[in-house]
Amino acid sequence: MSAQATWLRPCTLILVVLLALTGLNYALGKTNLGGTTIMLSVLAAAAVKVQLIVDHFMGLRHAKLVWRLIMLGWLLLVTGLICVAYLTSVK
Amino acid sequence: MTTSAALSIHNQPGRPPGDLAIWIFIFAELLAFGIFFVAYAFARAHNVELFNASQLHLNRESGAINTLVLIISSYFVVRAVAAIKQGLSVSCMRWLLATIGMGGIFVLIKLAEFREIFSAGISLSTNTFYMFYLSLTLFHFMHVLMGMVILSFVAAKAQRGGYSADSHTGVHTGASYWHMVDLVWIILFPLVYVIR
Repeated sequence: MSAQATWLRPCTLILVVLLALTGLNYALGKTNLGGTTIMLSVLAAAAVKVQLIVDHFMGLRHAKLVWRLIMLGWLLLVTGLICVAYLTSVK
Repeated sequence: MTTSAALSIHNQPGRPPGDLAIWIFIFAELLAFGIFFVAYAFARAHNVELFNASQLHLNRESGAINTLVLIISSYFVVRAVAAIKQGLSVSCMRWLLATIGMGGIFVLIKLAEFREIFSAGISLSTNTFYMFYLSLTLFHFMHVLMGMVILSFVAAKAQRGGYSADSHTGVHTGASYWHMVDLVWIILFPLVYVIR
């Protein structure tokens, strides 16, 4: 390994956060509870995970704003419409 | 200039890593999955009780384990890219093989889940929930297999010393595709297995 290797690389820290958020989502799922709060929490955690992967794993944080906006737009549109559908069904 | 060279965007500031063609492909795939996800959510809005009851029969543990598997595999791909940026072909190849191995674990877990579902007599025509569940997960499953094939070619080239610290667009391209497979699952898992 390179001499530049550190004890905790930035990508390893991102991995830890991603695993923790996955654990959170699983724990919320285990409750078998429904409702707006659970739905929003689970979706928000998933959206944060996607954005972390896009920025830090796919490397788009170094790309021009337009590339990042395409990915962010997709994420916000999809999760937003899912929220609308679920809130509609709650009513 | 060849088409490949014209599309190659490696090391151009501000451009996403990898070949432009793979990014067009990624956006097309994300659009398809996005439409599928939204269609699922609105179909559920009209059949809440059916979807909630059917969802309880899914193996949430295997879905959660597969989420961890794909996230860890994405991390391995990041390490493969980092290795080739330092000119470490063998290390890059090993990280890619580790990624493919994680993909294999995902496939085995998913096959076990499909076997469980199909042996219970469930099919695409059982109800609307299972139509979406099977279509979405099978569609994603095919992408995992395709990603494993792509990374196998990249790993083979890395083993032959086909990439260097200055020239490794292929590694970035394969990595970007694999990350796309991962992030699609990150939405799919809570949507189909968790949210109710």
